[in-house]
Amino acid sequence: MAQLDDGTDELVIRARDGDGAAWARLVERHSGLLWSIARSHGLNDADSGDVVQTTWLRLVERIDGLRDPSATACWLATTARHESLRLVRRRGRDRPLVPAPRAPEPEPDRVVLGRERLGLVGAALESLPQRCRTLLRLFALAPSHAELAAALGIPLGSVGPTRARCLDALRRLVP
Amino acid sequence: MNDDELMAGVRQAFDALDPLPEGVLAAARASIAWRTPAATLAEPVQDRGARAAAGVRGGPGRVLTFACPGTTVEIEVAEFGRDRELTGRLVPPSSGAVQVRHRDLPPDGIEVRAESAGLFWVPRVPEGLVSLVLRLDDGTSIVTSWVRL
Repeated sequence: MAQLDDGTDELVIRARDGDGAAWARLVERHSGLLWSIARSHGLNDADSGDVVQTTWLRLVERIDGLRDPSATACWLATTARHESLRLVRRRGRDRPLVPAPRAPEPEPDRVVLGRERLGLVGAALESLPQRCRTLLRLFALAPSHAELAAALGIPLGSVGPTRARCLDALRRLVP
Repeated sequence: MNDDELMAGVRQAFDALDPLPEGVLAAARASIAWRTPAATLAEPVQDRGARAAAGVRGGPGRVLTFACPGTTVEIEVAEFGRDRELTGRLVPPSSGAVQVRHRDLPPDGIEVRAESAGLFWVPRVPEGLVSLVLRLDDGTSIVTSWVRL
């Protein structure tokens, strides 16, 4: 069996060489985190979709000139954060008389439907403050502290302690 | 529960409550088709001018400037409801074909000419993400970075 090298940097190089499956794999691996980054800025469905799309288009327009493919994962997270902030600003400017769009709270019946699937951890998450919930979501999806730092726009050194604090808060709530 | 189990629980909960929509994933997969390896990327260097207040027809225009080595592309954007009118200028002046790329337009959707003074005009572009491919008569190509109009 051929060894499958599917690190993000390897996938970027293969996608650049025209390997469509490598591109699809790259997109499937990282889009969940990009979507969560948009959500962490309080963006709605349409705007969050826009952030994910724009982030991938920015990679496509740069993929041929990329000097350091190993930096791609962090670059994607940083780009999604910038695009999210840009949309938040734009929304503020477009509709100055209307409050900025909030993170969509799930519909009550959606929560009920989902509760069985949420498990113990999901139930505990609901009683955590919004900030901690958002952080835990990003922590759960980002493969490395470097990507988390990029997603949150915080120094690498403060990722570990922040992660530990939120995990402790969650652990106290899980029976 | 250990940390890994907690994190798996968090992932599972958000997967159930707020999954990444399939349409968003499909659009991301398809975005590789917009690649233009032969063109030089012109990056945004300036985005000037407030957008007109909603409902005000043809308010003060937005001016976007993109630059790559040797060429600057200036685009003035006027807003008419959900449509945008683009007036462009290449500095230094050069002529060529200008293709408008937009998700809702067919791949060869809108194409106009930049005349020898480097001026071009696109009367109607839908709002949304737009990129221009400029195929100049000297054989070089420039692509402007995606921007939300």
